[in-house]
Amino acid sequence: MPPKYAVALGVLARLVTGGVWIAAGLIKLPDPAASVRAVRAYDLLPESAVTLVGHGLPLLEILVGLLLVAGLLTRPAAVVSALLLVAFVIGIASAWARGLEIECGCFGGVGAKEGASSAYPWEIARDIGLLALSGWLVWRPVTPYSLDAVLFPTPAPSPERILDVQGR
Amino acid sequence: MSKADDRRKAREAAALERQRQEQRKRRLVVGGVVVAVLAVVLGIGIAVQASRDTTGEAAAVVPGSSEAAAPDAVTADYGVVVGDADAPVTITLYEDLQCPICAGLEAAVGDRLNDAIDAGQVQVEYRMVSFLDGESENEYSSRALNALLATLDSGGVDAFKTLHDQLYAAQPAEGTAGPEDAELIADAVAAGAEESTVREPIEDKAYAQWIKNATDAMSRNGVNGTPTVFVDGERMGGDPAQAVLDALGG
Repeated sequence: MPPKYAVALGVLARLVTGGVWIAAGLIKLPDPAASVRAVRAYDLLPESAVTLVGHGLPLLEILVGLLLVAGLLTRPAAVVSALLLVAFVIGIASAWARGLEIECGCFGGVGAKEGASSAYPWEIARDIGLLALSGWLVWRPVTPYSLDAVLFPTPAPSPERILDVQGR
Repeated sequence: MSKADDRRKAREAAALERQRQEQRKRRLVVGGVVVAVLAVVLGIGIAVQASRDTTGEAAAVVPGSSEAAAPDAVTADYGVVVGDADAPVTITLYEDLQCPICAGLEAAVGDRLNDAIDAGQVQVEYRMVSFLDGESENEYSSRALNALLATLDSGGVDAFKTLHDQLYAAQPAEGTAGPEDAELIADAVAAGAEESTVREPIEDKAYAQWIKNATDAMSRNGVNGTPTVFVDGERMGGDPAQAVLDALGG
């Protein structure tokens, strides 16, 4: 891939993935009780973890989204993004395999719904798409228009450039 | 190559190494500060969410504690019992007053169910919950349930059942504004509640905490949507209306 396209893909991956995380988190933020019930509906976590995850997950999603959009700590943020997406794919796939009819709760919405399972393939496909974009950012975290570029100027300039500067 | 050249090269290499180390240090310090700030923000955010979520806190007002409601009208599972305790069949229904499929169920089998209740064939435990306020422009789901519980305490189980059926018959569409409190009070009175005892709890949303706990209890019982039908304690899959009809003997 020509470098120009790689750079554009990096910025696009940041904005798309980050934007989706921010939206997903903001929608769930107003109703923490519903978020807890949505987590419990998957019937995967012990009850002691359900409440903490229900309260914390929307916030974590917003933080990861903000980091990606701002391009701050891009690689660690992309790693967390990818891990969350893997967990979600496992959650949805396991609900599907167990024959549960639950709304994924990805963007709010809670609980069982007639025919909710028909949305599972699309939800998994969407998460895998976002996972691919997150993976790209783990591999190529250096992008323009990012706070990383401001806070962490890219690796030491080459010796030639130092010679250039000192030569003047 | 002269010795001077060598020395210059060595100096440059050392300078470069110093610069790299400084960058690495800066990276660690700035990155560490950012991560620390994020951790604090996350921690505060979780504390705020936990304090906003009153689920499980004791409800000050509990339905079924009034004189009008029979002492055993409300179960420990947040259900309102309608019908003869000696009836051969027990049906347990989870319903949200804003849930369209519940309204469909009531339209399909409500009359049949009422006949069976009157004939002593079935006892129904209505586990009314509220999680569909987001589908209403004015939180109809929880306000209607609050009015229904106030009606139970004011007018007894018959008034509860009358208003329950009435609210489903006149259910507002999802995404619209449902009837305001004044209309709910009028409906409650029409169903058999006393205006003097029903107005205040409806306007004050007196049962709000109990409703939250009831909805949480549904989730803890592994029920994640409405309507959900249990017959004699056994969960029914498939078409809920068919499940009720089967339980009543076709």
